[in-house]
Amino acid sequence: MKVRTVRYIIKEGLKNAYRNKLMSFASIAIVTASLIMFGAFYLFTVIVNYNTQAFKDKLEMEVFLKPELDDAQVDRIEESIKANGKIGEYKKVTKEEAYEKAKQLLGDDGKVLEGIDASFLPVSFKIKLKDPQDSKEVVEQFKNMSGVENVAYSQKTVELFSKVSYWVRVISTVLISVLLIVSMFIISNTIKLTVFARRKEIGIMKYIGATDGFIRWPFVVEGVIIGIIGAVLAFVVTGNAYHALEVRFNADVLNMGADLFTFVKFRDIGLQLIGIYCLAGIFIGAVGSLISIRKYLRV
Amino acid sequence: MIEFRGVTKKYPNGTVALKNINLKVMKGEFAFIIGSSGSGKSTLIKLILKEEDATEGEIHVNGYSVSTMGRKQVPYLRRSLGVVFQDFRLLPNKTVYENVAFGMQITEALPREIRRQVPMVLGLVGLSKKANVYPSQLSGGEQQRVALARALINKPALLVADEPTGNLDPETSWEIMKLLTEINHRGTTVLVATHEKTIVDAMKKRVIALDRGVMVRDEQKGIYEDESKDGQVHY
Repeated sequence: MKVRTVRYIIKEGLKNAYRNKLMSFASIAIVTASLIMFGAFYLFTVIVNYNTQAFKDKLEMEVFLKPELDDAQVDRIEESIKANGKIGEYKKVTKEEAYEKAKQLLGDDGKVLEGIDASFLPVSFKIKLKDPQDSKEVVEQFKNMSGVENVAYSQKTVELFSKVSYWVRVISTVLISVLLIVSMFIISNTIKLTVFARRKEIGIMKYIGATDGFIRWPFVVEGVIIGIIGAVLAFVVTGNAYHALEVRFNADVLNMGADLFTFVKFRDIGLQLIGIYCLAGIFIGAVGSLISIRKYLRV
Repeated sequence: MIEFRGVTKKYPNGTVALKNINLKVMKGEFAFIIGSSGSGKSTLIKLILKEEDATEGEIHVNGYSVSTMGRKQVPYLRRSLGVVFQDFRLLPNKTVYENVAFGMQITEALPREIRRQVPMVLGLVGLSKKANVYPSQLSGGEQQRVALARALINKPALLVADEPTGNLDPETSWEIMKLLTEINHRGTTVLVATHEKTIVDAMKKRVIALDRGVMVRDEQKGIYEDESKDGQVHY
């Protein structure tokens, strides 16, 4: 194919998209709507995955020792933590640090601590496991160790979180697939309408000796243009909505001092989103055109 | 130029549109194919354009073996000849100029060549002033002249016209026939399918008559009706 033909094809595709404004508009609307839904599911999955991972990374157990232990006994327990191959890293929280933290947590109610010194508080170790799978075993080990008062571990929460995120992934994969198939169907039908309206034109072109490619490619260019416009519109809508939600939700949740669940920062995900949208839009537009025009080229 | 050897066309529904047609049209000829509707004229044109395939027999057009060529070759066969239809078949979204230019664009001609050739052909059919008008703004005769210009743009050696005056009033019909004659004088072979008696009778050209799929007559300088036998009219 010669350069001037490529130029002709692109020009023709643009012209046709413009001349068939109404149909282009309908197709763009459908592409945009499908991509917005697709994007919503996608973002939801990303957030859940992100939070599950973040939660797993943060996951630690805290071993509280009996407050009455002396330094030597504390050191002995620390030695056994160091020697444990299943433990990744740990941090010792001294009585004084625990006291400070308690004061912080209580805030204005910190007055209740007045007149009480740090000695009643236990020394504790914050422990991160190399593999969260070992948690049960390690918890048991510490519970049976003399001098250990209590082991705090959010095993249940973790399991719940993992299960929820698994199901979110499964459900959104199914929904995204269904949605993609449905929107492909709708879009190829819309393009079919445009092609049907122009079947006479296609026939005439064939009669005077245009090759299939010469007729087909402008339609594909038209489809791709529609796909890209749809993708950009969908991105503007989803992007703005997400950004607004993210800012408000995170501000609200972080205000409460909790960081259990956060939205992924828009700037971390925006580029990925527009990329996926454009790819999906181009794919839908091109394949939709190719499928729709095939039938009418047989003259 | 055109050769049919023992060509038969049966449609899937059982209709036999053409029966054992043997036909030769030489370079530079002007020939009419006549017959009432259903006689097989249109089928014959469709076979030349390979819009339909012959059931039996061999067809050669412009050096292409139409009956054996592959689908991919069809556009090149069609480019080698000019075609004009009863319903003009112009592209409604393109101007007169663009319609004619399109015939050259499909051959990947140089833009420079297109800019040179299109005004020339538009001049030939007398439509230089309507270059930037859309087909819907033209009269039937003008539209047919645009179609003629498009058919001629690639300087084909053969021009095929299927009822080119079917949608036109007598006066405009004559204009088109005059143009076709002129094109023929310039060396192009012209094949016209028609059922218009007055035109055929007045032109005194070769007449090939079809009747229910059978070639019943082939005369040089013929007329529409054959009254040679016992006053009975044969078509």
